[in-house]
Amino acid sequence: MVLNMQFRYSFNHPRSVVWRHLQDEQVLQRTLPGCKRLQSRADGAFDAELGLDVGPIKGMFSGEVRLLEQVEPEHYRLLLLGSGKPGELHADSLVSLIETNAGTEIECAADIQVTGLLASVGQRVMGSVARMLLGRFFKNVDDDMKTNASLELPQ
Amino acid sequence: MSGVFGSKVKRKEDPRLITGQGTYTDDVKLPNLAHAAILRSPYAHAVIKRVDVSKALEHPSVLAVFTGKDIVQKIGPIPTAWLPPDSDIKTTAHYALAIDKVRYVGDGVAMVVADDLYAAKDALELITVEYEVLPAVVNQEAAMGKMAPVVHEDAPNNVAFHWQAGDATDEMFANAPVHVSHRFVQQRLIPNAMEPRSSVAQYNASTGSLTMWLTSQNPHIHRLLLSGILGLPEHHIRILAIDVGGGFGSKIACYPDEALVGFAAMELGVPVKWTEERRENFLVTTHGRDMILDVEVAGEADGTLTAIRVHNIANMGAYLSTAGPGVPTILFGLIVPGAYRFAHAKVDVYGVFTNTTPTDAYRGAGRPEATYVLERIVDLFALELGMDPVEVRRKNLIGADEFPYHTALGLEYDSGNYQQSLDKALGMVKYEEFRQEQEELRSQGRYIGIGCTTYVEICGLGPSQVAGAVGFQGGLWESSTVRVHPTGKVTVFTGASPHGQGEETTFAQIVGDRLGIPIDDVEIVHGDTDRIAMGWGTYGSRTTPVGGNALAIAVDRVIEKARKIAAHMLEASEAEVEFQNGIFYISGHESGTVRQVTFQEVVLQAYLAWNLPAGVEPGLEGHSFYDPVNFVYPFGSHFCMVEVDRETGEIAILRYVAVDDCGRVINPMIAEGQVHGGIAQGIGQALWEGAVYDDRGQLLTGTFMDYAMPKAHFFPEFETAFTETPAPQNLLGVKGIGETGTIASTPAVVNAVIDALRPFGVRDLDMPLTPEKVWQAMQKGSVSA
Repeated sequence: MVLNMQFRYSFNHPRSVVWRHLQDEQVLQRTLPGCKRLQSRADGAFDAELGLDVGPIKGMFSGEVRLLEQVEPEHYRLLLLGSGKPGELHADSLVSLIETNAGTEIECAADIQVTGLLASVGQRVMGSVARMLLGRFFKNVDDDMKTNASLELPQ
Repeated sequence: MSGVFGSKVKRKEDPRLITGQGTYTDDVKLPNLAHAAILRSPYAHAVIKRVDVSKALEHPSVLAVFTGKDIVQKIGPIPTAWLPPDSDIKTTAHYALAIDKVRYVGDGVAMVVADDLYAAKDALELITVEYEVLPAVVNQEAAMGKMAPVVHEDAPNNVAFHWQAGDATDEMFANAPVHVSHRFVQQRLIPNAMEPRSSVAQYNASTGSLTMWLTSQNPHIHRLLLSGILGLPEHHIRILAIDVGGGFGSKIACYPDEALVGFAAMELGVPVKWTEERRENFLVTTHGRDMILDVEVAGEADGTLTAIRVHNIANMGAYLSTAGPGVPTILFGLIVPGAYRFAHAKVDVYGVFTNTTPTDAYRGAGRPEATYVLERIVDLFALELGMDPVEVRRKNLIGADEFPYHTALGLEYDSGNYQQSLDKALGMVKYEEFRQEQEELRSQGRYIGIGCTTYVEICGLGPSQVAGAVGFQGGLWESSTVRVHPTGKVTVFTGASPHGQGEETTFAQIVGDRLGIPIDDVEIVHGDTDRIAMGWGTYGSRTTPVGGNALAIAVDRVIEKARKIAAHMLEASEAEVEFQNGIFYISGHESGTVRQVTFQEVVLQAYLAWNLPAGVEPGLEGHSFYDPVNFVYPFGSHFCMVEVDRETGEIAILRYVAVDDCGRVINPMIAEGQVHGGIAQGIGQALWEGAVYDDRGQLLTGTFMDYAMPKAHFFPEFETAFTETPAPQNLLGVKGIGETGTIASTPAVVNAVIDALRPFGVRDLDMPLTPEKVWQAMQKGSVSA
């Protein structure tokens, strides 16, 4: 099944800072929910292992994360491909960063496809779980910014 | 005992089954038992590029891992055993594990055998399969399109078969004074027997014999098919289906999984068990229904129906299941004219491959679908004419004096009194009063409706000659052995294989009634191919009309021989000896006089053999192989009354009235129980159930969270009654009762809901009639009444 979803999150940080955090391997490793491993490859993608918990389904997913079509600091495409015992997950999202008075607004439009148990068992909770995971991710990034100020300095 | 036939005896099997003392397949425990788990495709359609099992083999508990390539030279493909004639059927190879391509989500890719169940499941995760995903097709009509993905290369346009019957022509509809047509959809259903499938296999290499415990409705058919698949001679295979927790058709088929268990036990030399998880049951145990039906009727302005034709596109799933092709063709097609005097009929059926779970029989198998479209189109015909639907039925029902009745599709209905059944049901319903109340409530903005079904069913499968003529790859007779022990106790061996229908009781009633002995003196043995000569199993409401009559004949053969011995003991001629209530006595004298001998005394003499009449052998056993001359045709009238909530679209079933006729009733309580269960399943289809795939072939209704399983509190108290029109062509006068409820109830409920929605101009809605669908229909419609 394919799920289309929209998500928004507000940061109290300038757009350039948020952008740098969202593109940083170390930050991603610390903030991607359930991330056990994230390793960059020669082709620019990351090999990843994520522990996911979707309603009645729990399991490890291994796969890859790709950051594509980056137009700094406005938008980029985030591709997540994972497979595990509960099935396969394919998430394709366009992440836009919009400057606001308070800082930065994130707009995320995602298409999520799942197979196996994720489809037959998880589909009813998929939307809310995806929303929760995205929320947790951006919140983690937000928290991370407070503790890792180094990235806030212009490079 | 006399009087036991026709009485409400409590089910003998229930204390065992409801106190956990039954022997279901998963209860079987053997020393050194290994456990199997099956890796299933997560894709509906994909090429298998590579399977790597090396990591799984390193797991310390794993005994073996098999892939499609490992087994292809060792075991044969899974056969299809119903090949409708003149249908150009494509029985494409179905391997127990997919070799180069998977064709539905759940298709087996590898099997792990481990000394521990959890290790086996863990090891599944250690197998790596590389797939190249292909586009999938789920809908059968789409699958016939030119651009559709091809499920099997050797089945162009995904057409598995094309079958036709009947003589109705285009002109009959084009020129008819009244012509009504409509497309109906029979949604896909998931049978959900309480006990999932399971199999335990034990191979004795020194004797070359394989014993398999199996969740089976037809153990002898499974023995026959497994013999072919595994390459073992039939007499070296023993199939045991001791207690089986429901089947509803889903335990007829010969599945890859069970064949693999037998193979693994032979290959590894240890006993192997596999039990389906509930989620596997949703995914891989055969589904039912799933047909797209274009229906037309022609008739006169006075309400006379003259011709019917149906174009059926049936979704067969990814492979043709064992009896699958027989369902939308023979079992569906031949009963399309139903209980009405149609002069002409035509049925045109396409069976189509898709990337979905294979479909096969599901309670009623073809007959609910036929009855649904017929009873729905009759209501639309009545609507077109502005006639009351009950009046249209009354006008067209076959009359009691017209039996045996020859239908437009060549069946010979054995007996019936359809008008009497309808009258009885109308009396219970108080039809006129309901119509008045309906008018009054409508004016208050409340919407109640009434719907009915006047059905006839074809069951008691069946005459073997017909089975052969319609492409069923087996006989449909039944066997029975009645072994009388020296003390007069009786063991019955039946080739039928009941799995919840209560024949341990009703068959004991048949024996008790004929022999005049208590039913506790009778044990019924079924589901064991070593103890039972041969049998074709339990499906198609055949167990009582075919197996029961085989039993009655075998009992009568016992009596025949016992009478000879009794006559000798009473020093009389055989013709003088009467038998009643378990006593042989001389004609002219009532029992209780001196010249009598009990059945038990005669039995003992048969075994002692000290003084038997000349030419009579010792022992006392009756055997029969009974092949019926015709099917049996139960019938009845069901009425459903509903109220639709204007605000929410929710449907409340106010009353449900069922009048069924299954010939002579052996046990009214069990017959009523069968009707209750059938109605519940039929209403389930009408209102709640439905298997849903997404367009990539992922099953979205894979658990009880998403597949609406009916529960007891959804239903009102069913009001049931019987009329008894004896079956004229069998000894007991019985017809089948296992499927009537499912066949009759679905259209009765939908007719009732559509009747309630009449003020909104709603002509039809596709099942299941969920509140949302009903609410949307009311929003779109305008209140006209």
